[in-house]
Amino acid sequence: MSDSTRKLNHVVIVPCSGIGKTYGTVSREAAYDVVEELRPDRSKLVALSMLVLGDEQARASVATNLVVTIDGCKLACATKMVQESGGQVARDFAVLDVYRNHRQFKPRGIAVLNEGGQQLARVLAEEIATVVDDVTDPSPEGGQNA
Amino acid sequence: MTEFLETTVDKFIFKVAVDRYYNSEGVWAKPEEEMIRIGLSDFVQQRNGDVAFAEVKPEGTAIALGDEVAVIETIKVDIAFSSPLTGTIIEVNPAMEEAPEAINQDPYDQGWIALVKPVAWEVERSQLLDAQAYFERMKVEAEEETKKL
Repeated sequence: MSDSTRKLNHVVIVPCSGIGKTYGTVSREAAYDVVEELRPDRSKLVALSMLVLGDEQARASVATNLVVTIDGCKLACATKMVQESGGQVARDFAVLDVYRNHRQFKPRGIAVLNEGGQQLARVLAEEIATVVDDVTDPSPEGGQNA
Repeated sequence: MTEFLETTVDKFIFKVAVDRYYNSEGVWAKPEEEMIRIGLSDFVQQRNGDVAFAEVKPEGTAIALGDEVAVIETIKVDIAFSSPLTGTIIEVNPAMEEAPEAINQDPYDQGWIALVKPVAWEVERSQLLDAQAYFERMKVEAEEETKKL
């Protein structure tokens, strides 16, 4: 299997690390939904903080896989850090943009999201899952080379 | 070209445009011939975060000094702002509907909120802060905010 094919077996998800911020929590909840429920075989989570700390395994993971970033604010820390780590961003999501398209899901809360926040995270997760489907190998062999 | 007063508080840089007046909430009012253009200060937009939605009273609405003129929803808060003057809203910035992030990107120019035909501007102007007075007030508020971080 060539390197280019190997990259299509997994997508790395890097969410915002905005602890104590509602939109940061939405980004992380969406990431958990993707890697734990929606596409567990074809996605894996890398914590932004590990990239910031220069963790070698985290940097290697983003450098050798396509990455989906989820940013909680316009600073776009997740996207910038992935790019600085040598990663290729397949798609960058901004929680604010998703909310603008789904105003009925108003997120509030920090440690625990309100119902709107949970629903917004789910909508975002489903959009990310679509990207994962687009860029990964759907064959049974896909996702076996984590 | 607009000139600014500028200060750095912690890692944040705040600008105050000198060619307009401000109410205590940080709503600016800029005389333009017979009209007054209004918007939010740089400090207000930075303190409240990225704007998700902006709802402005519609064109034709008569507003009094201190009336609610706009509500913005940001990633942090929902906040209502008071009109800095009495008059009639002649025009609402289309960006408030289509791209309210203009408030964050360019609060003193492209991010304006509304154009108002004033009723008693000469009288009400004296109740507003000039740029220097708002600048001093804003610095105090900014320093208090950073203490909370």
